[in-house]
Amino acid sequence: MNINEKNIKIWSTIGSRATLGIAALELAKEIDNLMVLTCDVSTSAGLDRFRKTFPEKYLDLGIAEQNMIGVAAGLASENFNVITTTFAPFQTMRCCEQIKVNLGYMGQKICMVGIASGLALGTLGYTHCCIEDVGILRSIPGMIIISPADSLETVKALEAAVKLKKPSYLRLTGSSNNPIVYNKDYEFEIGKSITLKEGKDITIFSSGTMVYQCLEAAKILESKKISTKVVNMHTIKPIDKLAIEKACDTSFIVSVEEHNVIGGLGSAISEYKSSLKQSPRQLFLGIKDTYSKGGNYKFLKEKHRLTSEKIVEDILLNIRQAK
Amino acid sequence: MPISELEQIKNIKNFALQVRKNILEMAVSAGSASAHFGGALSIVEIVSTLFAYQMKIDKKNPNWEKRDRFILSKGHACLAYYAALCEVGYISREELKTFEKNDTNLLGHPVINRNLGIDFSNGSLGMGLSLGIGVAISSKKKKKNFNVYVIIGDGECNEGSIWEAAIAAPNFKLDNLYVIIDKNNFQQTGSNKEIMNVENLKDKWSSFGWYTVELDGHNIKGLHNFFKESKNVKRPKAIIANTVKGKGFSFSENNNNWHHSILSKSFHEKALKELMDK
Amino acid sequence: MSNKRKYQDIFIKSLSINNNKFNENIKYNEIPEWDSIGHMTLMSGLEEGFDITMDTDDIVDFSSFKKGIEILKKYKVF
Repeated sequence: MNINEKNIKIWSTIGSRATLGIAALELAKEIDNLMVLTCDVSTSAGLDRFRKTFPEKYLDLGIAEQNMIGVAAGLASENFNVITTTFAPFQTMRCCEQIKVNLGYMGQKICMVGIASGLALGTLGYTHCCIEDVGILRSIPGMIIISPADSLETVKALEAAVKLKKPSYLRLTGSSNNPIVYNKDYEFEIGKSITLKEGKDITIFSSGTMVYQCLEAAKILESKKISTKVVNMHTIKPIDKLAIEKACDTSFIVSVEEHNVIGGLGSAISEYKSSLKQSPRQLFLGIKDTYSKGGNYKFLKEKHRLTSEKIVEDILLNIRQAK
Repeated sequence: MPISELEQIKNIKNFALQVRKNILEMAVSAGSASAHFGGALSIVEIVSTLFAYQMKIDKKNPNWEKRDRFILSKGHACLAYYAALCEVGYISREELKTFEKNDTNLLGHPVINRNLGIDFSNGSLGMGLSLGIGVAISSKKKKKNFNVYVIIGDGECNEGSIWEAAIAAPNFKLDNLYVIIDKNNFQQTGSNKEIMNVENLKDKWSSFGWYTVELDGHNIKGLHNFFKESKNVKRPKAIIANTVKGKGFSFSENNNNWHHSILSKSFHEKALKELMDK
Repeated sequence: MSNKRKYQDIFIKSLSINNNKFNENIKYNEIPEWDSIGHMTLMSGLEEGFDITMDTDDIVDFSSFKKGIEILKKYKVF
């Protein structure tokens, strides 16, 4: 993939879904046994061009996610390098048991990509949002879970996951005009979080499109003299334990996710944190275990307090309470 | 010198006899862990026809890449599967005795272990046919020319995921994919008619686009003929195999108490005697 | 350079088409390069090239080179 300023801008404009399509196309040129499977979502996943360019590497299973995972596993068992994709709730929940048996238990290596996860499709209602996927998949042994922060990270995560010999799930959040977190190429390693901003007072852990909101929030917090560290925990499973240990040098930990506060990134962090001898309090920011009324992405981020301003408000409120 | 059809059928029958013996050994050694006795016995002739005749395999190499693939989607019938793999030579008699013991390779549902000839993990009903589709597509893409045989249960046809796969296979024109529906008329807690009957299996599979036949699942000659005659059919193939749950022993035939049960020593002896008398 | 020339250049560059493949009658989905991904790349290129931000409705309605000229009048490009 040609990672340059121009492409980074284009990928940001077109969003992570369309970027997935472009990345898959490039991968198909270099990986002979690549197969991409979808469930009647080629255009939604930016795969229309892929479908036309590499018809022999593309399979549409129709609206049948359980069958898709089984077919993917059959192909993987014969050494095809398989990517599956559909909308996140259907990719992870409709075929959850197939994921458990084929990917977790049998260990068939498949890279699943859940598109439009989080709140991006809120105008369609919560059937088409996904605030549960990380929580559900975390409990399947052997599953690697990555939530890329922006379109460039989507490219890098896909490349890394495809080269892995283990099953994985990529959670794509955001919509078009996906804010840029990385404006140039960088080292991406599965399982190794990236500290985007150093700080001494508090640590914010985030993943997916919330990372950008957290960076903006950190700017506001700095202006209020709160030295804020921001860590992109792009790999939620396996969690970067060292990063959590280091965060204990600060006096307050915040997790921010476009996901239920139950089961996702915040939970994964607290599971490890609570095993440590001494650790600071953790504030869980995310969707507070509810299916609210729908609305567009901007509306829902405001409603669930997942904008930089609201994140700052909640942090300030809680820091005061802690003292 | 090619062996005659009569010889082939005789071989399959002998294989089936050994498979039933092996099933008895495993079931009795499982003891109180119990075993899915009934549903394994109903597929003995089917499994024997596949492993002793129809399937292209290398007895010395369970990982031969051009081997035909077998998927026991109704994974609880694994007694028959392990028994057959033992007769082929992939699983030793010693290993068979570890069935359902702690730390065993041979659990109550198959767990993938390709050195033992167990190609996939199965047991959660409704998933094996989709797997079969992926494998059949691989065969075609890689031009390896192997077939895929999937055994599913009639109760298993309650699962929607079976029908997703049934819709898909003809769409992909998978003439190298066979599904055998073990129609023994029972599911776990009662007959299909009592629990959830799926009417007209033959019509259903046929209308989905499969080349479908209905056969006596215990008639080896009939199974043998089918495989011979359907070789050149350019569609996925479905056999509705009419079978008897618990087939082979007077106490277990059509007796759903033997779905998952303990084979005591006394029943074991009774069963062995009936086998010898045949 | 006139805006009309610039507009044409952005088309050619964003869609990665040959000069000789370009003509003023091209429409969305009628050439392989102008698919949904090509479209978003084109919109991005036009916004950057003319320093404008287009409304979603205009992005959706932008179905041909000629239609685009009409739409861009709204943004004072033409």
